[in-house]
Amino acid sequence: MSSISLREITKAFGETKVLNGVNLDIQDGEFITLVGPSGCGKSTLLRILAGLETADGGAVRIGDTDVTHTRPSARNLAMVFQSYALYPHLSVAQNMLTPLLLRDLTTAERLPILGPLLSRSKRRALMDQVDSAAQTLKITDLLPRKPGQLSGGQRQRVALGRAMVRNPVAFLMDEPLSNLDAALRVHMRSELAELHRRLKTTFVYVTHDQAEALTMSDRMAVMMGGNILQFGRPDDIYRDPDSLAVAQFVGSPGINTIPGEIADNGQLYVQGKRIATVHGAARQPVTVGIRPEHLTISHTGQFKGVVRHRENLGSDIFLHVAVEGLTQVAVLRASPDQAATLGAQVAFDMNPDRVLVFDSQGARIRMSVPKMAAMA
Amino acid sequence: MTGNRYAYLWFIGPALVLMFVILLLPILIAAGMSFTNYSLGNSSADFVGLENYEKIFTRSTYAKMFGATFRYVFVVVPMTVGLGLGAALLINSLTRFGDVYKTIYFLPVMAALIAMAIVWEFAFHPTIGIINATLEYGCGTFLESWSWYAKGCARTFPLWLTDRDYAIWTVSFIGIWQGFGFNMVLYLAGLTGIPRDLYHAAEMDGARSGWDSFRLVTWPMLGPTTVFVVTISLIRSFQVFDTVEAFYPQGGGPSKSVYVMMFAIYEKAIQQNLMGIGAAITMVFLGFVLILTLIQRWLVERRTHYA
Repeated sequence: MSSISLREITKAFGETKVLNGVNLDIQDGEFITLVGPSGCGKSTLLRILAGLETADGGAVRIGDTDVTHTRPSARNLAMVFQSYALYPHLSVAQNMLTPLLLRDLTTAERLPILGPLLSRSKRRALMDQVDSAAQTLKITDLLPRKPGQLSGGQRQRVALGRAMVRNPVAFLMDEPLSNLDAALRVHMRSELAELHRRLKTTFVYVTHDQAEALTMSDRMAVMMGGNILQFGRPDDIYRDPDSLAVAQFVGSPGINTIPGEIADNGQLYVQGKRIATVHGAARQPVTVGIRPEHLTISHTGQFKGVVRHRENLGSDIFLHVAVEGLTQVAVLRASPDQAATLGAQVAFDMNPDRVLVFDSQGARIRMSVPKMAAMA
Repeated sequence: MTGNRYAYLWFIGPALVLMFVILLLPILIAAGMSFTNYSLGNSSADFVGLENYEKIFTRSTYAKMFGATFRYVFVVVPMTVGLGLGAALLINSLTRFGDVYKTIYFLPVMAALIAMAIVWEFAFHPTIGIINATLEYGCGTFLESWSWYAKGCARTFPLWLTDRDYAIWTVSFIGIWQGFGFNMVLYLAGLTGIPRDLYHAAEMDGARSGWDSFRLVTWPMLGPTTVFVVTISLIRSFQVFDTVEAFYPQGGGPSKSVYVMMFAIYEKAIQQNLMGIGAAITMVFLGFVLILTLIQRWLVERRTHYA
């Protein structure tokens, strides 16, 4: 009923092009994340959707209505800002009441002294709405306080409450968790996902943190340089990226990239060792991408190197291995009992099914045929 | 190391001594003097108790003094604050030429008021002044339907500075003209401190008009600035002296209608060498300023402290 679609959105600030014809279709009730490095245009895209910024070209549609030239206040979207943007002079209850007052009361009913007298019962009903939203977010005891007396996490909840209280078409969130400490951020991720499941409203979430995108969203759009590079389910984007840029952006620690080449018969070689077969690919130099969890330690491993650094995460240990003939260290995931000590020699193999091959332009060369063969 | 227990005295000592000598001591001396009939040049003075204060609160001259002072203050303060805020909001909404307007409105603040007073004296001159000459151009037009205007045309337009019905308002007008640029600059500084996000939040929350976002964001966020601006305008208005001294070097205007406090102090203590009564008026003046400052501090701590 209220899908959102952005068509050919362009935007430039002076000479700098920020968005180059972006298309995005968001279904009703979806949790969409726009993720990308800073300056990729993701916040601008969100603000164009909100109406706080006007696009130079293109159209924004919410449901069946074209809202390209509609004022933000008339779009019925709610936004949570990175700075929370709570009104510092109003209590939490008044902060949450504000959007209701502005929308549901007439100008006369909002007059300073006369207004509350005219609209007593209406205001009581609105206050009940605030109370129920506060209960959902468990902030009832904060209602009489001012934003200045709240912690970062509490302010975050109040900002969510202010957005929630009037049942908007969609929630727009601009890096809402980036001002929180690490532990709270991880906790809020699950709370936000839970909130989305409960409200069943569309969420459009902007972040530079790929982990937030992977953990929360139904679908994520990876943006770079004013374009959406890839739009899909987090799983697909992680496993099956369309380009080297996406592969490198998503995943932590990052994907290992190793120079390799495809020989005449489609054989993929890395450091002179045959890894896999890429059918139908011409002879060319390529970049091979492989995620740390797809490198396995084995005594008979094809590749050898020296452990330069151990990154201990408790459940896993990431080994940074200097491989002979490679400028970059290779990062591989090991369980704590098989992890080698610092300075030790290790040998490892690549999982050939999980190797991602990119051409010299960074575009993906798919190996669909051997994969199918392996499965059969 | 017991000697170091009093080391702090060396750190706060100089500041304490300076504050005592140049601020507190003169106030104490003035307070003491206000109970005497001291005159400059006399070797001694008699203690007269509260006689000086009694005069201030009973004699009609001083009733006129309070009248003129409060008229000036209650016209100039709201007008300079209001115009300052209005000009700041307008300039803030401009994308171009903001600096030009800022400079124009700030010019009177920078000009020496005594020099400006002389210019205004010419402008308000009944026969050669530009104000009345301009008003005469309006005679014979629709403006004459305004009875005040018709009367001006039939006889003569007011003697702005020497008519006792107009003098205090004319002086107030010059005070407004001179003072609002300063408040505008303070408000402009306050406006830059308001986070843009708050306006965006207000817009998302459904603020449809400029008035909505002014009431929801701008005005409350300017609260601390307003408290400061009002206090400083009040104190500056209580202190008005230059224009009065320039227009009316003797006597404080027609029928003492512009006999403001600062001028009264000057006239009594310096012109008439009655230091005792001058000191007493000064003490009353100090009392006003003190009350204003206390109100300001109370407001800052109670009402407009958001952090």
